[in-house]
Amino acid sequence: MAQTPPHGHGRVTHFRDTWRNLQRITTIRVIVQTIFFTLFVAFVLLTTFSHLDRFPALRHWVSKLLEIDPLVSISTAITTHTLYRGLAWSLLLLLPTLFLGRFFCDWICPYGSLHHFTGWVFNRRKAKQRIESNSYRRMYAVKYCILAGMLVAAIFGVLQIGLLDPICLLYRSFTGAVLPAANLPFEGVMGDYRLHAGAWLIGLVLFGLVAMNLVIPRFFCRTLCPLGALLGVLSRWSWWRIHRDPEKCNGCNRCRLACEGACDPQGRLRKSECFVCFNCIEECPEGALSFRLMPPKSGEVAAPDVGRRGVLFAGVTGLLSFPFVRFSGRSTRDFSARVIRPPGATEELEFLERCIKCDQCIRVCPTNVLQPATFEAGLEGLWTPVLNFRMGHCQLNCTACGQVCPTGAIQRLTVDRKQGRGAFAEQGPIRLGTAHFDTGRCLPYSKNIPCVVCEEVCPTSPKAIYAERRMRPLRDGTKVAVAATENTATLTERPEPGRTVGRPARFDIHQYRGDNTVRYFASVRHADGVVETHRIADNDADTILIEGRFARPPEPGTPVTLEIELKLPRVDTDRCIGCGLCERECPVVGDRRAVYVTAEGETRSAEYPQRDRNRSVRLL
Amino acid sequence: MTRREWLARGAGAVLAAGAAAGGAWLLYDPEGDAGLPAPSAGGVRLKNYFAGVDLPASSPRISVATGVEDRIGQMVRAAVGGLAGDRGIRRFVSAGDVVLIKPNVGFDRPPAVGATAHPEVVRAVIRLCREAGARMVVVADNPIESPEACFARSGIGPVAREEGARVVLPSEARFERVVLREDAPDAAAGEALGRWPIFHRPLAEATRVIGIAPVKDHNLASSSQNMKNWYGLLGGRRNQFHQAIHHVVSDLALMMSPTLVIADGTRVMMRNGPTGGRPSDTKPGGEMGRPVVVASVDQVACDAWCYEHMLGRDPAQLAHLEMARGKIARRIAAGEDRLAESDWRVYERQGLIGTTNL
Repeated sequence: MAQTPPHGHGRVTHFRDTWRNLQRITTIRVIVQTIFFTLFVAFVLLTTFSHLDRFPALRHWVSKLLEIDPLVSISTAITTHTLYRGLAWSLLLLLPTLFLGRFFCDWICPYGSLHHFTGWVFNRRKAKQRIESNSYRRMYAVKYCILAGMLVAAIFGVLQIGLLDPICLLYRSFTGAVLPAANLPFEGVMGDYRLHAGAWLIGLVLFGLVAMNLVIPRFFCRTLCPLGALLGVLSRWSWWRIHRDPEKCNGCNRCRLACEGACDPQGRLRKSECFVCFNCIEECPEGALSFRLMPPKSGEVAAPDVGRRGVLFAGVTGLLSFPFVRFSGRSTRDFSARVIRPPGATEELEFLERCIKCDQCIRVCPTNVLQPATFEAGLEGLWTPVLNFRMGHCQLNCTACGQVCPTGAIQRLTVDRKQGRGAFAEQGPIRLGTAHFDTGRCLPYSKNIPCVVCEEVCPTSPKAIYAERRMRPLRDGTKVAVAATENTATLTERPEPGRTVGRPARFDIHQYRGDNTVRYFASVRHADGVVETHRIADNDADTILIEGRFARPPEPGTPVTLEIELKLPRVDTDRCIGCGLCERECPVVGDRRAVYVTAEGETRSAEYPQRDRNRSVRLL
Repeated sequence: MTRREWLARGAGAVLAAGAAAGGAWLLYDPEGDAGLPAPSAGGVRLKNYFAGVDLPASSPRISVATGVEDRIGQMVRAAVGGLAGDRGIRRFVSAGDVVLIKPNVGFDRPPAVGATAHPEVVRAVIRLCREAGARMVVVADNPIESPEACFARSGIGPVAREEGARVVLPSEARFERVVLREDAPDAAAGEALGRWPIFHRPLAEATRVIGIAPVKDHNLASSSQNMKNWYGLLGGRRNQFHQAIHHVVSDLALMMSPTLVIADGTRVMMRNGPTGGRPSDTKPGGEMGRPVVVASVDQVACDAWCYEHMLGRDPAQLAHLEMARGKIARRIAAGEDRLAESDWRVYERQGLIGTTNL
């Protein structure tokens, strides 16, 4: 019968050995990690309009990993003094951490699992180097400074934890970079490809941080992760920890071969660094290590290795970051009118206090109109959602973004609330902004080309974009009558200088017949100054036939001006909700459409007239 | 170095050099344009989906069924039955056919506002096709708004799933350039489309095509009905087409020779089209006052009939009707095998308009 070596590394040949192997705590850990990573991927994949439409209960689940993140709940509690809906779930993680330590980092965190896996596959080293690479470094205290800086900034309402919080970062990376890339070979499986502004940056950050594992194992988790830092601070009080029995330990250092947290299990355990991965216990040939309840204090370094001065300095940095970013003005007076926020978004400063840049709204948006901002909303607004109407538009009947937002930056809306129907008729619809026309680019305005696609697609009822018929003289449209009957006039061009008779007109047959989109008119200016205008019914090469009859058939020599009547689009600001469908569908594409939406008129700032950022258009 | 080693290394270098030179010779492009796509060549032609339908000269060309809101299925059945006599749908769909149903799913709108085909009409047509023994029924459209949302909200997606039809949503690879005319279109002759990307995947599989169009007001084309419904198969920058909407709509009728079209007048959008937005923009049957379903083998005449009877407007003012009739007549004169499209008043005189009241 095969003997199982006491601590792994044996050839497994027997069923009983396999079973024992499965019972190993590290195997269980890998299974749990796999489950949570799979769950994370499933959540992201399910965060789509069609899934939420078919299974509405999903909205409570797809952002769950963000809701259990205590850094999200604590920092938004600091900025807003409230705990939004599902964020109470974070207690589920926070409370066990107070007893078990920083287990989240190597049991649950999908980003941690990704780093762990990457290191396991790509970072193969000799034993000595591994021990070296898993030794504690002073640098690992940086994360506490990052955490302190971010929390101090949060006190002033600048919420930046989303930049580095691992869950936000991973959700965002999947939405902006990983899933679009994964979709390439499976075109049509997850739907058509989607575009994300600044995807290169999101992808580069993800790739760069994961690649750092090849230089320093778990670089992100050990050095940068503010959530890890928070859990590290909390775990100084934890009841259980890894305990080394100095009697049994012979100082072989094998425990550091696979130490994920670099927490010195060979000496005094750095509690705040330990990921509770159990690799050290597994590796120890002497059985000197164990996970113990309340082991002696002498064997541990409870507090993070960061001095008061370091924390103070980080706090000052966080403090200064507030005036630095806020007084750049992008979130207040110098706000870009192209920063249009999703329906249900709170007023900009409230929004910035809530948005954690997880980009779940961007993921769920069915039209791809929601895009991560780069710098248009200021440095503060990096990767927050803005609408880009060149990519899509906001669908009238859709409120998906607010359904999945974990922090209430985008409030949950009903379709009735969004459209201002039923009980909300008094309040009116949610407006994202207002459409404007660039009349120098608009086809009917500037080029006499019929169009009004904007009116066609305008989804409100009555339409906010409506058309006005306007008549304009055609270029070289002034002719001269040479003969006329009661409803026809034969025309020539105007005589060239020094001549009395012009060349005969040469029209295309039916050129001025028109239809219901364009109509042509002939204006006759009689010698006595009286003008009569008639719609042209048809024409041949040089003669026009009018509808009805001339009051006075034009005398030979009378000037006749041909005019075109077009539909010109206009905006009714009472009706416009800023959905951007007109802008998306405008055929004048260029760098700016002939009709475009700006944040003016947005309802979310209407209640904040005292703020520079107020974008109301009308007083009444 | 041994002689053997010398020979092996030398042969390796010669082979690599030969491969490089050969590759260069194969790829060499002295003019510099060999790798560029030909500007306007290639493309497929659409099939004639009416071909092979055995329709006696005495069969109605337009069949109208009026009824009530909760008997839409029977109205569809009666309208189609009215065209085909006792053979019903089997005159149009045979066992083994792959039927593409092209409803108008253009907008993210609930059925009540009439911007999209009524899901019950779609359901009834799917059932008819199944009864006729269709091997597969596909429902497809390329909406203006998000396809998933449009199919879900219009109720057409769920109905298709319930009835076991396949919904095919557009994606870039499912489009193909379709040739309507080889030569550049002549704008003066009312032509607009030459070669254009079309949602072709479902059309390629299909042996029969049935269009289902809600009768709607349209801000620019005046109405959106069966002919305009094919606009939903177009890809590319189709928002340019509004600059010559009648050219394009009549070209669409020329391009698509469907097996059957069904005009859905269950709630007719009388104003604020083509998007609508409020049930009050619609009226059951429009000017007819009761829900109507019209089946026809002549999409131009059917559009004219509905334009007059449901929208209460004068077809003589609807430029694309006459343009389409002219274009189709010219194609038939040039030898194309398809059903001549006519004026509904001609059919009326010939007794080719059937009516059923439910």
